[in-house]
Amino acid sequence: MKKYKIFLTLLVIFFGILMISPVYFMVKISISQPQDIFTQHPTFLIHNTTAKWWRWIFSTKEVWAPFIKSLEVATLTALFSLAIAVPGSYAISRLPLKVRYPLVLGLFFTRMFPEVGIALPISVNFIKWGLLDSVLGLVIAHMIRILPLVTWILVGTFETVPKVLEEASSIDGCSRLGTLRRIVIPLAAPGIAVGTIFAWLGSWEEFTYAVYLTLAKRTLPLQVFYYINRGNWFLTATYATLTAIPVIIITYAMQKYLRAGYMAGAVKG
Amino acid sequence: MSFVSFSFFLKRISKNKFEIILILPLALFVFGFTIGPIIQAIMMSFEGIFGGNFPTLASYSYIVHHHYFKAALFNTIFITGVGLSLELIFGMILALILSEKFFGRGIFRAVMLLPLGIPTIVSASNMAFIFSTQGFLNELLYRIGLIEVPIDWRVGTIKPLMTIVVADMWKVTPLVMLILLAGLESIDKQLYEAAKVDGAGRWHRFRHITLPLLKPYITMALVIRGIDAFRIFELPLVMAGRHVPVMSSYAYFEYVERNNPYTSAAGATILLIMIIIAISVYLKAVGTEEVTR
Repeated sequence: MKKYKIFLTLLVIFFGILMISPVYFMVKISISQPQDIFTQHPTFLIHNTTAKWWRWIFSTKEVWAPFIKSLEVATLTALFSLAIAVPGSYAISRLPLKVRYPLVLGLFFTRMFPEVGIALPISVNFIKWGLLDSVLGLVIAHMIRILPLVTWILVGTFETVPKVLEEASSIDGCSRLGTLRRIVIPLAAPGIAVGTIFAWLGSWEEFTYAVYLTLAKRTLPLQVFYYINRGNWFLTATYATLTAIPVIIITYAMQKYLRAGYMAGAVKG
Repeated sequence: MSFVSFSFFLKRISKNKFEIILILPLALFVFGFTIGPIIQAIMMSFEGIFGGNFPTLASYSYIVHHHYFKAALFNTIFITGVGLSLELIFGMILALILSEKFFGRGIFRAVMLLPLGIPTIVSASNMAFIFSTQGFLNELLYRIGLIEVPIDWRVGTIKPLMTIVVADMWKVTPLVMLILLAGLESIDKQLYEAAKVDGAGRWHRFRHITLPLLKPYITMALVIRGIDAFRIFELPLVMAGRHVPVMSSYAYFEYVERNNPYTSAAGATILLIMIIIAISVYLKAVGTEEVTR
């Protein structure tokens, strides 16, 4: 039994180090002097620290355009998705099971389509419509992958709101829209909040549509891609850390809502 | 449609007017920006490699003779097969560890979930740091004394593919772990007690109780992950670029670098077919009831 405990402890430490190290190296590079990194034998611990990479992206103001674009796109994507998904998923949740089920399943499968297949015609069309490189264009593209996810979360939420409450409200003379606004939406608020946060996050870290639809006005994930292609490890690591910070915070705050199904099709290589 | 059923249809519409208005924006969006583009991409794939001549198989016959496409197909299947098996093994080990009670279990769980909080493009750049010739993995191997000269992970066929597999494993094993952990928690503890009384060892309990009862969860993890692995994009793009094309990055290079939307559409359509096959396997194996839980 004791041997087993020791074996277990070693495994825990091994996997712990394995999971943390890539993130640790990223942060380390973003605060390291070049002599610690670009040598035959890079160091594992943090020796010569510097804030110059972080200072550089902020002092040249280079960070602000991508940061603001990412923020705008993520926020608008979350809001627009909500505006379409809240009424849509409420209606779906009130359909008979026989209709509801294929609908939800179909939405779920649209998330599994190859994104390069959707991004290609979208990009071709957006060139014609002048939406390339624009915030609106990217918001529409991000909604392609985020709307089904939000709808799916919200259908589950609205299903938990008892129909009896709606009937009571309509007997008391409330219109259907009034019932929706005064009874159903307040009761579904926690689920709506979870959906909004996942929508925001999904857009913030999105890369594929962004790379198809952007020429010059890059978002934060594209900024990481840009610098790694130029071979600048320090700015890559700095932008990568900056992009990851909100995602890490939100993921841990939302831990109990992380169900395998939500993540299906959301985490990909 | 006969007249009777048509008027019935109309009556249903007017009865459910409210629902239909609520659902309309969602339906229009999905048809306009998901189903529509997919159909458009499929149509484009049947045009000639310079456009026009619809319908023709010219783009397909061009890409299947392109050695670059064959490499992409091979790499995608390799990454999916090897990656999936390893992710399942490690996800199982991690889930089994987490189903034990030990000091620091909460912290360990939090650490294991860290990759879920890292955007894929960020994990791709992190892995590029680790697998560079002057990277941290070579330094570790050097300090342990396994190598004298740094290994160039980018050359050869299998080496760069394995780096991508490892990168993908880092990012998604926690997800497999979560699915399997949910399965482990659903198993009745009394079964283990009974087996223990009957003298079954740790391995026998795993082999004859855990594994059979986990089967639906394993299938779910396999197919969900399999579909994602077919679509792998950022990791190979960042870590190996043109050296190691996969289906997605092949379609990307054809369009963005070689400026050919038609061959890109053909590549994407073949990927779509692969995914549709995987989805059908999924529906057949798991049944539709499991999907939306």
